[in-house]
Amino acid sequence: MVVLLQALFSGLALGGIYSLVAVGFNITHGTTRTFNFGQGEFLVAGAFVSVSVLLLLAGKGINAPLDAIDVTPTVYAVSLVGGTLVTAVLGVMLYFTAVRPFAGRPGLAWVMSTIGFGILVQNTALAIWGPSPVPMPSPLGNDVIRLAGAGFVPQEILVLVVSVAVLIALDVVMRRTRLGKAMRAVAENRNAATLMGIDVSAVVVGAFVLSSAFAGLAGLLVAPITTASVYMGLTLALKAFSAAIVGGLDNPRGCMLGGFLMGLLEALVGLWHAELREIAIFLLIIVVLAVKPEGLLGRRRVEKV
Amino acid sequence: MAEAPLLAIDGLEVRYGAVEALKGISLEVRTGEVVTLIGGNGAGKSTLMKAVSGLEPASRGTIRFDGQDITTLAGHRRVALGIAQSPEGRQVFADQSVRDNLVLGAYHRRLSTADLDRDVDRQFALFPKLAERRAQMAGTLSGGEQQMLAIARALMAQPRLLLLDEPSLGLAPLIVREIFAAIRALKAQGVTILLVEQMANQALAVADRAYVLETGRITLAGTGSELRRNPEVRAAYLGKV
Repeated sequence: MVVLLQALFSGLALGGIYSLVAVGFNITHGTTRTFNFGQGEFLVAGAFVSVSVLLLLAGKGINAPLDAIDVTPTVYAVSLVGGTLVTAVLGVMLYFTAVRPFAGRPGLAWVMSTIGFGILVQNTALAIWGPSPVPMPSPLGNDVIRLAGAGFVPQEILVLVVSVAVLIALDVVMRRTRLGKAMRAVAENRNAATLMGIDVSAVVVGAFVLSSAFAGLAGLLVAPITTASVYMGLTLALKAFSAAIVGGLDNPRGCMLGGFLMGLLEALVGLWHAELREIAIFLLIIVVLAVKPEGLLGRRRVEKV
Repeated sequence: MAEAPLLAIDGLEVRYGAVEALKGISLEVRTGEVVTLIGGNGAGKSTLMKAVSGLEPASRGTIRFDGQDITTLAGHRRVALGIAQSPEGRQVFADQSVRDNLVLGAYHRRLSTADLDRDVDRQFALFPKLAERRAQMAGTLSGGEQQMLAIARALMAQPRLLLLDEPSLGLAPLIVREIFAAIRALKAQGVTILLVEQMANQALAVADRAYVLETGRITLAGTGSELRRNPEVRAAYLGKV
């Protein structure tokens, strides 16, 4: 029972990470029908930029190890801002170099160009920080918090709180604010959005900024749990992409739901047979796609004539 | 000389690849006028509307609005200048409520909630059916209601020129009558309208002036009543000999 509770909690925390990245896929897909296939490398960038900010603030060299006392909640917050800012800028660069020249054209050139951009990011990270994983202490320490007999890792609590807060904020912005309504309008019909006086190009750049910043945020949230590694991106992004497909790529709430489902499934199956986690995830995808190809909360568009 | 026209199009050409959709169109709309453009399928009517709103680039010619050359101005900026369009096929935002569609229509005006409410109520006065459905998703409306919403949404921009692209398309005769009643009401309020229609009879009846567009060229121009009496127009567009 206690083990189950712990697994549930870990699954939700991991799910928060997947949700952040999955929603990022939704945001750019909605506005441009493309997404960043190299999104995983943006998690890497977010994590390593944050590690570097932390080292800088601790007055250490770029390849020095981080100690627990270097990571207070305040400097972690600063590194969080730094990491998301840098990935947001990367998002702008990605859009102008790898997406805009190809989006809306026939063919899948944007798939290759975004993968290529990701490889550039990853290799740059490799050149700067090297191949070995960097342990990153949690700003909340590593003392397990005991509750009802179960132990909770503080960073998992932080991940869950931050990701849920960001996802709720996004949901409110998209539904209630002028900007959110404009983004949804662009996602549904670019020409009609232009007729409303909405600057579609600016909204699209904004979508890539937001999506990339979410990936960066996910990267540094997950780093204290998994350690920061130049190779951590691909698996995380692939699972987040699966989450978006299962939940419904065209529905932000669907992507969030898919993310948490993935996290829970992975943690619970891992309790039982760790080696079956990935198999379970991809079985779930196949089942969902067979029953509901548009995803759990996805919608088949019916056009009125 | 009278005051300059609000919209002046001169020698406009628009191409889709090798196809020339508009082959040198010149027309004008003066403040307070209702001008209609009639023509069959594929004549280039919607292309012209898109070009005026900046959704299709002109390959030659100029579009001037209130004396200003807007030929290369980005589409969203033209809305701020005062050009709003109810596009062909309505194109309401199906996933958003009726009220939010109207709010988006006023996007560039950055209104306070109180001002928005006042303007939204004004649209509901013109189209009472929309008031009952204000919280409903636009995608669940009937075709006629969506058309009313598309017009109301364009009016929320407080346009100096209202472009209506085929507002009667695919609607039942009774609904078409309602739509044209609304257009007449707008005309009475002094709204300047450029109306593109296949329902030539009703369009010519409401129009001060009209143009006939055939395969990318304007072939006839005159007042609404002149064109209604014109034998060629009667044969080709009014189904009368």
